[in-house]
Amino acid sequence: MKALGLSLAIVLAAGLPCAVAAQDVAARLDARVPADLAHAVQEIARDAAGRGLPVEPLIQKAIEGGAKGVPAPRVIAAVRQLAARLDEAQSAVRSAGTTAPSADAIESGAYALNTGMTASQVSELVRASRPPYDPAVTLRVVATLTALGVPAPQGLAMVEHMISERRAPSELLDLPSEVQAATARGATPTEAVQQLDPQQQGGGATHGPGQHGHSPQPPSPHPHKP
Amino acid sequence: MTTPYHGLVKRVLDGELTLADLPPELRAEGEDALRLLGAVDRAPVTLSPQLDARVMAAVRRHAQSPLRRAWRAVAAPREIELRLRIRPWALWGGALAAAAAVALLLGRPTTPGATPSVVAGVAARDSVFVRFVLYAPGAKRVTVAGTFNQWDQNAAPLVPAGTSGVWTTTLALPIGQHQYAFVVDGRRWVADPAAPAVGDGFGRRNSVVAVTTGARIL
Repeated sequence: MKALGLSLAIVLAAGLPCAVAAQDVAARLDARVPADLAHAVQEIARDAAGRGLPVEPLIQKAIEGGAKGVPAPRVIAAVRQLAARLDEAQSAVRSAGTTAPSADAIESGAYALNTGMTASQVSELVRASRPPYDPAVTLRVVATLTALGVPAPQGLAMVEHMISERRAPSELLDLPSEVQAATARGATPTEAVQQLDPQQQGGGATHGPGQHGHSPQPPSPHPHKP
Repeated sequence: MTTPYHGLVKRVLDGELTLADLPPELRAEGEDALRLLGAVDRAPVTLSPQLDARVMAAVRRHAQSPLRRAWRAVAAPREIELRLRIRPWALWGGALAAAAAVALLLGRPTTPGATPSVVAGVAARDSVFVRFVLYAPGAKRVTVAGTFNQWDQNAAPLVPAGTSGVWTTTLALPIGQHQYAFVVDGRRWVADPAAPAVGDGFGRRNSVVAVTTGARIL
């Protein structure tokens, strides 16, 4: 029932960006950014929507640039760069076998790329994230770990290890806060992951793509909890 | 009536000293005091035989008062068992109806000014309270701006916690991932040192918070 509730919430959340995409981009940007900037972003957003990309992050980036007082050419460059990243994320998710990726999965993929994960790591994680694991959620978890300073291969290996052990999705969601707590106690991000998942001590972080977390390991009921 | 005993004698009565600790001139007084205390301690307490009957009669009168009985009938807590039987199709039907309502709300054309109220409607159902804290000693004004408030640097001011330099606010964030930054004194954008951060594309850093079901925060 918990998993059902989580799935329903994710389905609803995934629908939000799609609904927003139908709105008039110009109306969203009106009075928030200069007219020429709004026009340029509208063009970029129209192209992106045509390729099946969510446009809400593009609108948000333009509004953010306006709020921060960034010059228009630089905002336009940032919006273009974000559109390219969304494109790359969509391709990475599709190459994992998801023919029609959700807006949420694409956004999470772009976030993962932004934190330093590679497209092949994104694809690998999406491939491993079969129900009940939502790719958008697992991508977000690994990306957040990466943003916290955990090397991407190490974070990826840890999450894949937990998926292979069929751990509850809620346990994945706890990982970033547990890493943060460990680093607050003085551990480096790498040490924090090793404390949470002793399997990482054995070189899990040095595995290449497609080799993470599938080797036989001793059973451990809660390897990510100290 | 109280006997004005010497302070040292009082300490003997309290068990802190013994008679041997008293100076000779106080020993007699100490012995008297101990004798008196012993007599009081050992005196049996006897109650009037009618006392029980009188107390119980008063209790019964109080309990049998019609007003009191009526109040008890109204106010006494009772156990109530509710059983809800829902067919699966009704559950899914309700969920689909809710999804359709959300889609209708978000799908309708909106003016820029109307957008926050739509978001607030969703937030009321699927949101989680998140506390933001920044240590900014010497700051005159601190706000938090992000994707959850259209990067409006006036929408969410933080409140100083005394004179400690700590500023806080608590916001209800919709489920999803949000980027944000603090704005100090209306001009300095500062990433949250307690949260993961990513490049904002403009040469600065944004903090990231992801709010998920079950009140979890990534």
